[in-house]
Amino acid sequence: MKFKRGKSLAVLIAGVVGLSACAAGGSTETAETDDTAQAEINESLTIWHMENTPQRVAAWGAIADEYNSTGPEYPVEFQVQEWDSIYASIAAAAQSGTQPDVLFAIPDFATYVRNLGLGYPVTETVDSLDSAHGLYPASMAAYTEDGDVWAVPLYGMVQVLWYNTQMLEAAGVEAPATWSELLAAAETLTVDGVSGIALPAGKNLASDQVAYSLMLTGGAGNWFTEDGQANFNTAEVVDAIDFYNDLLQFSPADSGNYAWGEPQAALNNGSAAMAIEKGQYLPPWVAESGLEPGDLGCAPIPVKDNGGEAGSIYYSNAAMVLSDDESRRAGASEFFTWLMEPANYSSFLHAEPGLFLPVTGNDAHIEEWRTNETIATYPECVDLMLELSTVGGLFGFVDGQYISRIGDISGQNILAQVIQRAYIEGEAAESAVAWGQQEMEDALR
Amino acid sequence: MKKHLLGFSLVTPVMVIMLVAIGLPLINSVWISFQDQRVIGGESEFVGFETYVRILLDSSFWSALGRSGTWVVVNLIVQTLLAFSAALLLQSKGWWAKSARVWVMLPWVIPTISVTIIWQWMLNSNYGVIHWALGEVGIDLGSPFSDPGVALFSIILVNSWHWFPLATVVIYGALATVPEETLEAARIDGANNRQTFFAVTLPLINPILFALGLVGSLWSFNVLDSIYLITEGGPVEATTTVPVYIYNTAFGAFRSSEAAAASVLTVLVLVTVAMLMVRFARPKEDS
Repeated sequence: MKFKRGKSLAVLIAGVVGLSACAAGGSTETAETDDTAQAEINESLTIWHMENTPQRVAAWGAIADEYNSTGPEYPVEFQVQEWDSIYASIAAAAQSGTQPDVLFAIPDFATYVRNLGLGYPVTETVDSLDSAHGLYPASMAAYTEDGDVWAVPLYGMVQVLWYNTQMLEAAGVEAPATWSELLAAAETLTVDGVSGIALPAGKNLASDQVAYSLMLTGGAGNWFTEDGQANFNTAEVVDAIDFYNDLLQFSPADSGNYAWGEPQAALNNGSAAMAIEKGQYLPPWVAESGLEPGDLGCAPIPVKDNGGEAGSIYYSNAAMVLSDDESRRAGASEFFTWLMEPANYSSFLHAEPGLFLPVTGNDAHIEEWRTNETIATYPECVDLMLELSTVGGLFGFVDGQYISRIGDISGQNILAQVIQRAYIEGEAAESAVAWGQQEMEDALR
Repeated sequence: MKKHLLGFSLVTPVMVIMLVAIGLPLINSVWISFQDQRVIGGESEFVGFETYVRILLDSSFWSALGRSGTWVVVNLIVQTLLAFSAALLLQSKGWWAKSARVWVMLPWVIPTISVTIIWQWMLNSNYGVIHWALGEVGIDLGSPFSDPGVALFSIILVNSWHWFPLATVVIYGALATVPEETLEAARIDGANNRQTFFAVTLPLINPILFALGLVGSLWSFNVLDSIYLITEGGPVEATTTVPVYIYNTAFGAFRSSEAAAASVLTVLVLVTVAMLMVRFARPKEDS
């Protein structure tokens, strides 16, 4: 027995040693191959973006292939991330020093990334692109602090009021232009099985965005004092929350859990007459509603009757350069310059026609961009979105502000929580807003 | 010692991996919890127990702990009932019982993201098939995920539907270990089905049920994905359990140290509960 055990042990050890040798033998060749592959990977500029729908991934993959075929010093490679996990991913990457060369961002997220100690100013690149193509000031403002620009604007997103023209005509309702008209329209259009309007009121960014568009047109877009302290508890904000809550009474009963998809689905399947959102409503309208393109109406965000002004939430999506290597940063700049050439830029924007808007007033950009079928089908709505792009704003970045901690507020969806307190808990708007003020102060402490 | 050398050498790699993958992050969490770090990896200073005091004084943390307790207990009850029922049905002889052994696993196989989307669609007031079907018979489902009174229980049902097949398989396996001759003897002694189940079957599978309950409870406590994907902790914190609270604190409010302190406190709570369960609820060896 003892002999058998010793023999078994010997066989086991021999086996392990043999396998290790095989592995080692194999690994020499593999290591060389890995080194080459690693060198190739290192030469590529890694670009993280969070536009993860299949058509966007495919379109931008094609853009990368197109650019790489021109033989640049640094080819580019797009890698898809998730919005839900990017805050954790980029923090982990920052800690381990493995951040991507380029990271797509929106303004409040950009402040978070900068607070991680990542990012380099791209002022020269942006100035150069501005000179060549005429970037919208709004697209740069949210990334500009003390004269330094921290991201290259690439595409914009803006919200409008979408409506089903057949429903409005049948009810004898004109497209609303003011808050009171919007509320009256929502009430009139609410009939059995149909909601006058579909609004998000979940604890999410969608609710923040739609509510903020109405806050902007209600003179409640600025939440901060000149020295950057929270100034949320104002009469204008209370009015806006009250108004949003009034509108929600004509929104589907489960709006308290709505985000982006549900209002769009409600509008497209005829169970809601109006919704407020960005240009992603254009491409699926005909297929999902079974109606004609002309049956999808659009209008500017209705303005508060007294003291309101035109506006809409405007997201300038931009690329931050995070690489610590100067030559790679130059490579990124080269890519942006190529990308903004009219033919390339329109292909880039066509990844999501209608949602991704140009950030330049360059006629060549606009002309190329309009060749897309979806864009060409809805010229009036496209014009409206371009017009609103010039007057749009975003919390933390209006009136020349740059609130470097705005990510701490938007990350908690404090505005959405204020809405929920009023809508779901039935709390008075004054009290809900006072709670929001306290939360914002805590967030900024 | 020498005779254990091979055993130790085989276990060592796993121990090293566990130390690196679990031990170091755990130690790091404890260290961060004594700092005042906001964004993960950001600058911070040592503040002692200040962060712990802040968490312990935060009513939201205690509310979240209470909700987690409700979450665990109700999940345990619902899943146990579903799993036991399914396992007993699977023991039947019919062809459908055989086929059910496969399809009863389907909810477990479906990824959580799909489960949450499917249920949100089915219960949506505009196009949800369940909402519509109940409406046809005059029942208004209301807003299962946006009504604070029922949101947590709605997600518990979704979570239970997702996970009960796992418990079903374990219980089904446990039931199969009960010797047929023991059951036969009980029947000969005049015991009916109910008496046989409670007096013979249940005591015999009790150790397995205890292990399942203990592991399942700890597992259930830590569920974040289902809740976060459906409500993100809303409406008005109605579904904010401890994991959601910690996640929102770390990645919503960007207060890493507070999230770490809440995590450490949670570990202490879980360890205490687990020890109490082992001490007082563990089946006797001779049962």
